Amino acid sequence: MSPTTDSAKPPMTLAQALRLVSENPPQSASDTFQVALVCGFTPLHLQTFLTASLRRRMPAHHVTVSTGMYEDIAGTLRTAAAQRLDAIVLVIEWADLDPRLGFRRSGGWSPRSLPNIIEQVRMQLAHVEQLVAEAAVRSPLVLLLPTLPMPPLFPTAEWQSSAFEAQLRASIASFAERVSSNPRVRLVNDQKVNAVAPASARLDMKALLAFGFPYQTPFAAHVAGILAEAVENRAPKKGLITDLDDTLWGGIVGDDGAAGVSWDLEHHTQGHALYQQLLDSLAEAGVLVGVASKNDPAVVDEAFARPDLLLSKARVFPIAVSWASKAQAVGRVLKAWNVHAESVVFVDDSATEIAEVQAAHPAMECVLFSAEPAAVFDLLRKLRDEFGRRTITSEDEIRLESLRQQSAIDPGVAAESAGYSETLLASSQATLSLVFSQDADDARALELVNKTNQFNLNGKRFTSRAWADYLSDPSAFLLSAVYTDRFGALGKIAVLAGRVNGDHAHIDTWVMSCRAFARRVEHQCLKALFERWPISTIRLDYVDTTRNGPLGRFLDDVAKRSDAGMVVTKSDFEAACPPLYHTVLVTDGVEHERCARTTG
Amino acid sequence: MNDAPARLAECFAAVFPELKRGDIPRASTATVAAWDSLASATLLAVVEEEFHLEIDPEQLEDLQSFDALLGYVTCRL
Repeated sequence: MSPTTDSAKPPMTLAQALRLVSENPPQSASDTFQVALVCGFTPLHLQTFLTASLRRRMPAHHVTVSTGMYEDIAGTLRTAAAQRLDAIVLVIEWADLDPRLGFRRSGGWSPRSLPNIIEQVRMQLAHVEQLVAEAAVRSPLVLLLPTLPMPPLFPTAEWQSSAFEAQLRASIASFAERVSSNPRVRLVNDQKVNAVAPASARLDMKALLAFGFPYQTPFAAHVAGILAEAVENRAPKKGLITDLDDTLWGGIVGDDGAAGVSWDLEHHTQGHALYQQLLDSLAEAGVLVGVASKNDPAVVDEAFARPDLLLSKARVFPIAVSWASKAQAVGRVLKAWNVHAESVVFVDDSATEIAEVQAAHPAMECVLFSAEPAAVFDLLRKLRDEFGRRTITSEDEIRLESLRQQSAIDPGVAAESAGYSETLLASSQATLSLVFSQDADDARALELVNKTNQFNLNGKRFTSRAWADYLSDPSAFLLSAVYTDRFGALGKIAVLAGRVNGDHAHIDTWVMSCRAFARRVEHQCLKALFERWPISTIRLDYVDTTRNGPLGRFLDDVAKRSDAGMVVTKSDFEAACPPLYHTVLVTDGVEHERCARTTG
Repeated sequence: MNDAPARLAECFAAVFPELKRGDIPRASTATVAAWDSLASATLLAVVEEEFHLEIDPEQLEDLQSFDALLGYVTCRL
C-alpha cells in the first residue's frame, strides 16, 4: 500500500496524455479552470501532462493550461500576475537562475566565474521572489524548485560536493523558506519528487539540446502529476477510525491484559508506537480520531489509562467498544461526528473487518494495518498525505471539544432532529457573531462551502478564482457566522453568499457545519438579512442534492416553492421563526458605496 | 504478425487528433498543417514510447511522413 496519488502510480504515457487533452470536456464541465504554466524551457510534454493530469483530477472543470515565452520566466510571471487564474504553476530549473547552469548556453565554466554565478543566482532568486509575491496576490501559486542535476562545472570530483555547490543549494533553501511562508504559495516537497524519480532518470540531454525540453518523458509525467495534485489542493479527510488490537497496539488486550499489550522496540511492536504517535499528532491538528473495536469496554478503559500510551485518551472521541459488528461500531462513530463516510479513513488489521466496513460504508477509505516495518512507514506517509493541512485553524483546535460538548449536552438529540429543548437553548448563553463582507480571502469560509454536504443549499463548489469572481460582483455579499455558548466555542460554522437587488435578496450559496445544527443559527442568518437590507423577500437557489435533507426540512418550514425557486417572505419568516436566544453581534464590512448602489 | 502500421497509426492519432484515420497512412509534413517542429518532437517521443526505441533527432529531417517513420521503426523492431 502506498499513497494514492498520481505520482505513486506508473506514470501516464504521453499518448494517453495527448488523448486526454484532445478529448472534449464532458458536458457537465461547466466551469473553466485556468492555469498558467511558467517555465524557462519549452513546455512541450510538461504542458501536455499537466493538462491531462488536471483533467483527470477535475473532470467537472474545463481545464486549460497556458504557457509563455521561452526562457522568459519573469515576463511570463508578470503576465500571469495581471490575471486572476485558478493557479499559476512556476517551474524553476538551474538554467533559469543562470544560463551557465544549463546545457544550451556556452557561457563558460571557468572556476573563476563560480563566485559570479552564485551572485547571479542570488540576484535572480531575489527577483523571482518579488514576482512570486506579486503574482500570488491574485492567484494561488504552485512552485517547483530545481529538480535537474547541475552540470559538472565545479572543480571537485563528482563524489565531492564543492563549497560553491553548497552555496547554490543554500541559496535555494533560503529562497524556499521565504516564499513558503506566503500562504498563497504552495511549494512542492522535493522529497515527493525524489520518491518518484532518481536524479539519473530526469534529464533528457537529447530532447534538451534538440528541442529545449529538459525532462525524460516519464519524469515529465511524474512531475506533472505532483504539480496537478498541488494545484487541486484537495480538502483533507476529516476523521480516522482505528481498531485497537494489533493495530493501535500490539497484542490482544482481552487476552494479554492492559499491561500485556505493547508498542515498543523491546516487543518488536514499535510500528504501533509510531502509529499512535501519528494519530496523536493528527488529533492535535484537528483531525477527529475515534475507535471502533470489538472488545470489553472495561478492559479497553484500563489500557487507555496506561500513562505510556502515545495517543492521549483525551484526543480520542468516541471510543465505540462493544461486541457488535465492526460496521455498527464505525456507524456509531460517524453518527457521533455527524461526518459522511467519504471524509473518513478506517484502519484495521483484519482483512475481514475491512471488507465488512467497506461493504457497509462504500465511500469510506478502508486501510489494512500491517505491522511489517515497511508497511508501517507507507501507512504513516499515506495518513499524513490524506490528512495533510497547511495550517491549523482555530476551528481545527476546538472541533473535538465542541463535539464532546454536543454529545454531553444532550446525547439523545440526533444532530438533525427537531433540536434541543427550549430550556437548554434559552440557558446556553449563545453568542452569534455575524460578519457581512466581500472577503474572498476568508479561507475558512471557502473551505466550509466546499466541504459541507448536509446543510448545503445546492452543493455548489467554487474554485478560489470563481469565489473571488463571485464576490467581486458589486451586488454580492458574504455572511459568515461564528458561534459560541457556555459549553464552548464552535468557531466559524455558517457561510451564506448572495446578492441584493432592489427589494429582494438572492441566496446562491448557504452552508452550515453539522456541529451547529439545531441551534437556530439558520434562523438568525435569514433574520440578519431582513434586518440588514430593506428587502421583503429572499430567494434561495435550492437544489435537492440527496444529502442536503437538513436544509430542505428547514426550508419546508419557512419558505414556499415558486417559479423562481424557494422564496421566503419577511412576513412568512416572522410567522414561522421560533424564539431566538442568541446575543447577536453584527460586523458590517460590506462597502457602504456598494450597499448604496445595490439597495438603491 | 507485423502490427507496426496499426501501432504507428495510433501514435499519429494521438499527436494529430484532427487527422482522419483514413488519411493517416498518407500523412506527411506536406499534407498535415499541424505537423510543425513541436509536433515532430511530440511524435518522436510518442513513437519512442510505443516502440521502445531511441530515435536520433537528427533523423527527423528524413522522417517527415508516415511511410518514412514506418520504414524506420520496422527496420529497428
